[in-house]
Parts: sequence; structure tokens; C-alpha cells
Amino acid sequence: MVISKKTVDRAVLIGLILLAVLLFSSTSEYKGIAQKTSAKYVQFLAVSLGLLSAIQLTYSLWKDRSQTRFVLSGNPLRFAILIVAMILFAMAFEAVGFFIPAAIFIPCIAVALGYTRAIPIILTTIAILAFVYLVFVQLLAVNLPGISF
Amino acid sequence: MSFIKKIAATMMAAGLATSVYAADYPSKPISVVVPSKAGGSTDRTARLFIDLAEQNNAGFEFVVKNIPGSGGQKGFEAIARAKADGHTIGLNFTPQLVAHIVSGRAKYTLDDFHIMGNVAQDPGIIAVPKDSPIKTMADLAEAAKSGELTVAVNGIGSDDFLAAKSFEAVAGVEFNLLPTKGSTEQKAGVLGGHVDASFMNLSQMIKQHSVGDAHIIAVLTAERDENLSDVATALEQGYDVQMSATRGFVAPAGLDAEIAAKLDGILAEVLASEEFKANAAQGNIFLLPQSGTDYRAYLEGLQAETEKVFEAAPW
Amino acid sequence: MEHIQTVFSFSSLLTIIIGTIAGVAVGGMPGLTATMAVGLLVPFTYTMDPTLGLMLLGGIYCGAMYGGSIPAILLNTPGTPAAVATAIEGYPMAKSGRGALALKVSVIASFVGGTFSVLILLLFAPVLAQQALKFGPAETFLLAIMGLAGIISIADENSSLIKAIIAGLIGMIIAVIGTDDMSGSLRYTMGVIELIDGVDFMPALIGLFSMIQMLELAGQKTHKIDTSVLNQTSKKEKLPKGISKYIALGSGTGTVIGVLPGEGATIAAFISYNFSKRISKVKELFGKGNPEGIAAAESGNNGCVGGSLVPTITLGIPGNSVAAALMGAFIIHGMIPGPELFNEYADRTYPFIISMFVANGVFLIVGLTLAPYLARVALVPPAIMVPVVATFAVLGSYALNNAVFDVYVMIVFALGGLIIKRIGFSLEALILGLILGPIAEGGFSQGMIIGHGSPWIFFESTIAKIMWVIIFILLVPPLYSYLKTFVFNKEKNA
Repeated sequence: MVISKKTVDRAVLIGLILLAVLLFSSTSEYKGIAQKTSAKYVQFLAVSLGLLSAIQLTYSLWKDRSQTRFVLSGNPLRFAILIVAMILFAMAFEAVGFFIPAAIFIPCIAVALGYTRAIPIILTTIAILAFVYLVFVQLLAVNLPGISF
Repeated sequence: MSFIKKIAATMMAAGLATSVYAADYPSKPISVVVPSKAGGSTDRTARLFIDLAEQNNAGFEFVVKNIPGSGGQKGFEAIARAKADGHTIGLNFTPQLVAHIVSGRAKYTLDDFHIMGNVAQDPGIIAVPKDSPIKTMADLAEAAKSGELTVAVNGIGSDDFLAAKSFEAVAGVEFNLLPTKGSTEQKAGVLGGHVDASFMNLSQMIKQHSVGDAHIIAVLTAERDENLSDVATALEQGYDVQMSATRGFVAPAGLDAEIAAKLDGILAEVLASEEFKANAAQGNIFLLPQSGTDYRAYLEGLQAETEKVFEAAPW
Repeated sequence: MEHIQTVFSFSSLLTIIIGTIAGVAVGGMPGLTATMAVGLLVPFTYTMDPTLGLMLLGGIYCGAMYGGSIPAILLNTPGTPAAVATAIEGYPMAKSGRGALALKVSVIASFVGGTFSVLILLLFAPVLAQQALKFGPAETFLLAIMGLAGIISIADENSSLIKAIIAGLIGMIIAVIGTDDMSGSLRYTMGVIELIDGVDFMPALIGLFSMIQMLELAGQKTHKIDTSVLNQTSKKEKLPKGISKYIALGSGTGTVIGVLPGEGATIAAFISYNFSKRISKVKELFGKGNPEGIAAAESGNNGCVGGSLVPTITLGIPGNSVAAALMGAFIIHGMIPGPELFNEYADRTYPFIISMFVANGVFLIVGLTLAPYLARVALVPPAIMVPVVATFAVLGSYALNNAVFDVYVMIVFALGGLIIKRIGFSLEALILGLILGPIAEGGFSQGMIIGHGSPWIFFESTIAKIMWVIIFILLVPPLYSYLKTFVFNKEKNA
């Protein structure tokens, strides 16, 4: 499926206009003094966002005849792998801590991105883990969750 | 045979202690949850305690775990949720601990904690700019009658806010309340004369008062503060407004009785030591040692008072 | 005199050198910030000699402020928000093989800005602090507006001005999430406890810059390394002529803004950058790798170091979050900020201030020596660079508040940011809005209360009037020239 850049652009702008409307209407619920202070500020943001998005949208509908494709990434597979791996990393973080997921993450991503020389990968992984251990755990005493050493 | 051996081994490992569970306690470092950032006054209190607690108790190791954010709520919840095996204790500070309960945001109640005791307090004060015509509480009440008096408090639901609300009720006035983000903004407001008065804490203004950059018109404790004996309490001036921020130690509820007693004992011992007193004085921490029972009574009273304010003006 | 001797003893020098180098490393690592390092090390200095402890932290502060520019230039991953403007100019330079020059400009500008501000701190701290007190919430609001005016300087020339402003507004709206300070009620938090304090800008910064950069690298079709880049790098390029004007401009701006409350360094870097663009003769080169922009931005953010300590040590009102953490170290040792610091504790305070001159010198030497080698970072294969930076992105987002939630925030910003970047929204504008939004809101709301509901307060004081003039100068000429080109293009098209 080919999505053009301008379609995404218009969708985002419509979304922003909706957001502006919702944001503006939500300010009526602000309590007490916030009605005279924060609410005014948020209303200003909402009006500005709504107006500018509307102007940009009109301009786009009126002028934009381009057919450029919307490309999020030149290599969708690698892109997707990295995103999924990051999410898995974050999920594993709470359960088993930093070191084990990192020890898997770094070499896996390196291989997934097409790097195959084993020795530099292993050395980098060890160096990073040792560095994090020394700086974060020993020096700064940051509490990393999960299994401690 | 082997059964008896096992018992014997356990007995030997347990030594003279009566409970097996308490005997291998602590089996690992004890986490001290600090519900604020590293370097702040709560964090400093924790580290001063750890210093001496480790010195006094061989085999005990304490590790600070900072869980800052959302007015301490995240940290308080972490303590309440922790396994009650004595390997997690933490600091609490008031009135935030109870304010979160009252406002219905907290996932804990006071019953989720074993209250170990209080360590320090920071008395509430009322400060005004140095050249302000307001010199006493009576002046403040008079000036506030117009409803135009701008008074800074450190955020809604803070000790300053509760004190200001309490004064409003006692004096029958209404302030033009200015909630700030942190005491730094309050201090800047008073020193720069941007506000007419500020409800804040003693440690934040004591130096400025002593060099004359600002003026403290009242201390909000029952007795005058020993660090500031020339300033009358609000009570003395005829206004029953009392507020102070306190900082104490808590643990998750449901501790083994012996472990609880051990932890309480460690805290009491540290609080009694001269070295701790000296270190605290140097670090601008005003001590107010209180036993767990007394402190629990204080917290329950504070919760009841906070509820009253919340009902009148919820946030 | 004896204070200078204290600084030049062996143990002091060693401490300063360690602190400064550690600071550069901290600032250079995506996800590690000076605030975090100083905050975490304050308890550590508790057991140290007070003077040495303060020197260590001062060194970290100075080093970290400079260090943030290194990854900004080399990898387009600013280590601190104050280095975002540096990345706008520095990364294009690095891509075209002028990375070593960009690093050199940045370290020299940082050194001059830092040294100037410490000199001001040493000589005029008490006087300046009294002036800074005149700066109230209304003026803070105007300062945030001055910083936000930077959005316009990011935008003109290529990208759409309207889209840049929209991006800034999106940032400001994201910043609205969290507790409403005026009423204490929660806004748009959807019951998520981690959002009570709002969205932290550090995970956002890491996501929008470090992580997006890695996603882009990972998504490149080919991984060819342009070796010609290195050959050019090895050629020694002299500092551009007239750069000193921009460094002086940034140093002055940075020091003044540093003295004022708020997230000084970011505002200072953007305002200096904006100023430099206004006075530059080669405006069209901005955004394409102009060393003038780096000079102004870096001297601006390092100028904040000394500036931010002025109100911190004289009044106990820290100029920014790092200074606030440093203040904790003073208090631990019984040095309560105030006049006492300059008489009773003069034997600690003055060596501390003087040590920061040394710290600036240390990172100057380190930076100049390492510049050609650092520039070779461009040669690290992306397949190694990506997982390593991504790991630090995860760790850094977590370590900020010890919260895994922030890691997810970082990933969401990376994905969302990449989508809107592809359709022409400026991420620099977004992060600027996210950082300055809360300052603007706080200043506005407090100003309205102090002014008893009348917006006149924002025009009342002399400082406010001067600030409006500056805002006018920053906004009107670029807006005018933008409109002119817009109208001109339309006529041409018609």
C-alpha cells in the first residue's frame, strides 16, 4: 500500500485540530483560581494550535499537488526489529534487570543490522556492560532493578 | 538421626536467638526507600541515619533507593508494597504522606505501614519581605481583610497550604494565594518583594531572617523554636495555627515482631547518639525524635485535620 | 592569595581534573545528565574534605555542560537539552567532514563562556544577586517567550514556519499533562501515577534525538562509510574569522540568563543562537553547518554555569537543577548559602570558585587534544553504534527517575517524533516547547495571581519593558522576511 506524504500530513493536521477542540473544551473543568490562570494558558495553546493547523491544512488541500511517498524508514525490516527489540528490552528491564537483556540486545541488534564479525561484537558488549557496572552501579550507586551482582 | 542433626544445625546457626527467622536477619542489604531526589533534605536525613546505623550494628548494610516524584507518592507506595521481611524500610514526610490518602490518590492507608518513629521536623513559619509593614500575625490578619494580600505557598496540599488555609479559617480572611513550584520560588518571591507574605519552613528562611534579608513573623509550632527564640509562635500571638513538616521512618506493615523491634531499636539508638545530633545540626536538620506509637498518633491526627481542609476546598 | 594556593595543591588539582573529565563523559553520554551526576555524588562528598568535595562537583558541572556538545556534533544526539542548538549546526558540519573544526569551536566557545561567567561570579556575585531578585514571575514568563522565539530562528529558510510553531505548541501541550500547580488537580494523566509530575523532558530528548538518529541509521539502505570524511578531518582547518564576536555575545547572554531562575542553559543557548543568527552576515548558512551558531550556543550554555551559581551561593536560590543539587552539597557541610559563605567560609567558597577556572582549562585542553580523535567516531560502523547508543538510551531514560515508565516514554517519543519529522515538523521546536512550556505557564499563572488578574503586570516593570523590546527584535524581522518571501513566491507562482 502506498501512502503519500501529504495524506499523512493531512491526517496529522486533522488530528491536531481535533486535539485543539478537545483541549479547549476541557478547560471548562478547571477548578477555582486555575480558571483565571492555567485555563487561560491552555486555551491560548488550544486556539493557536487549532488555527495554525487549520491554516496549514487549507494550504495543503489548496496547493499541495505533490505525490511523494511517505517512507518511515528505508529498511522497514531492520527498523521494525530495532523497535520491537527496544520494547522487549524495556519489558525485560523490570523483570530481570539491565545486564542480562543488554548482553542479549547488543549482539542481536549488531547481527540484525548486518555486522558479522564476532570478536568486535563480543568486545563491545563486554566493554559496555563493564562500563555501566562501574559507572552506574559502583560509582553512582544507581539502583538497577532485578538481579543484582 | 538426620532429623536431629538438622535441628542441631539450625540451633547452632540460630545461636542464642529464639527465632530462626530473626536469626538470619538481615540476610542481604536493607533498602532504604527515599521518596525524593538524591541530595535533598530527606535524602540527607536517610544517609546520616545509615552512616551511624551501620556503625552501630555489625552485619547490617543499608542501601539508599531514591524513588522521587509525585510528591513522594511513588516512594510511599513502593514502601507499602514491599515485602514485609525487614529488608525494605523507607522515609516518609508529612503532610504529603497523609495528604495523598485524603485526596484519594494514594493506593495505601496508614495501616499499610509499620511506623518506626519520627526523626526531624521543619517548623512552619510565616515570612514577609524585609521592609514589609506587616510585623505580627495581627498585622497579617488586618492586611488580609482586603482579600488582595498575595501569599505564597509551596503547591496545593502542602504543609504551607494547609497552614495558610488554617489561618484563613482562624482569622476569617481570604488570601490571594499563590501556589509555587518548590520553596525556591517562594524564597525568591519574598526576597524580591514579589509577594506580601509566604507560608514556608524554618530551614528555608532561617539564614535570611538572621541577616535581615527577610523577616519571620511567626513560628507555627506549640513552643518557640530553640534556633529562633526571638520569634513568637502563632499561638502566643493569639492565632491557633500549627503546622510543621516531619520526616520519619516507616516499614511495610506485617513485619515479624522481633524484626520490627530490632529496626525500631536501631532507629532509637541512632537518634539518641550525640554524633547524629551534631551531624544533623550541621546539615540544617532540626531533630524531633518520636517513638513509633507517638508518631502514629500524630499522623492520625494530621490526617483528620487534613480531611477537614480537603472537604472545605478540595484539590 | 592563599585561596589560589589551596586550588593549586596536588590533591585539589587531581580532584578538579577527575571531576572535569568525569563531567565531560557524563555530559557526553546520552541519558546521563549533570543534574543526575551531581545529585548522586553529593552524598559521596559527605565523607570528603568539604573544599575538595565542592571542587569535584564544580568540575563535573563545568565538564558536563561542555560534554553535551560532543555527541550533539558527532551523532546529532545532544547529551543535554542545552546542546540542541549546537546539534543543529554541528551535525551538518560533521557530516561534511568538518567535525573536528566544529568540536574545536565548541570547546573554545565553552571555555570562554565558562571562564567569563566564573569571573563574573567571583567579582560581582552579591551585587548581581540583588538585581536578580527584581526578576519576578512576570519576567520569567517573558524569558520563556524569548526562548520560545528561538522556534522562529529554527524554522525560517527551509522548513515551514507554521509547522515549526505547531511543533512548538505540541511540545507545550504535552508539557501541560500532569498536576495543575494552581489548583493541585490532575490534568490529562488518565490515572497513570507516573504522569502526575508530567512528561519528563530527558526521556523525550533521548527519544527525539538519540533514538531517532539510531532508527534512521538502522533504516539506511546501505551502510557505506564515506572515508573521504576522515581525510578532510585530518586536514587542520583554522577557526573562522570573526567567530570571537559570537563567542562574546554568547558569553554575555549566557551569564545574564544563568543568573535568572529557570532552566537557564537551554534558554541561554537558544537565545544566543537566535541573536547570532540575527547579526550574522551569512544567515542562509544557518541550519547547514555554521560555526557561528555553535560558538554562540556553546558559550551561551557554559555562561550559565557561573551565572547560575550567583543566586545559589549568595541567596540560596539555585538558578537551575544542577545548581540546586550543588546547593545540597554546600548544606551538607554546614555551609548555608548567604553572606557567611564569603566571610566565615571564605576559605572554602573562594577555592571552589577559583577551581572552576581550572576546570574550564582542563576541558579546554582535553577537548582540543581529543577533537581530531573524537571526530573519528563517525567511522564506527552503524551496526555497532546503533545497539550501543540504544542501550544507553534505555539505561539513561530509566536512571533519571528509576522508572521503567520513562523508557516507554522515550520509545513513544522516538516513534511519534520520527513520523512527524518525516512530514516536516521540527523536533527542535517540539523539545523547546516541552522544556519551556512549564516555565511559561508557571510565570503566566503566577503573574496573573500577583497582578490580581490583570495582564498589565507583564508590561509593568522596566525589565519587562526591555524584554518586550528584545522579543520584538527577535520576532519581527524574521517574521517580516518570511512573509515577504511567502508573498513574493505567491506572485511568482501566479
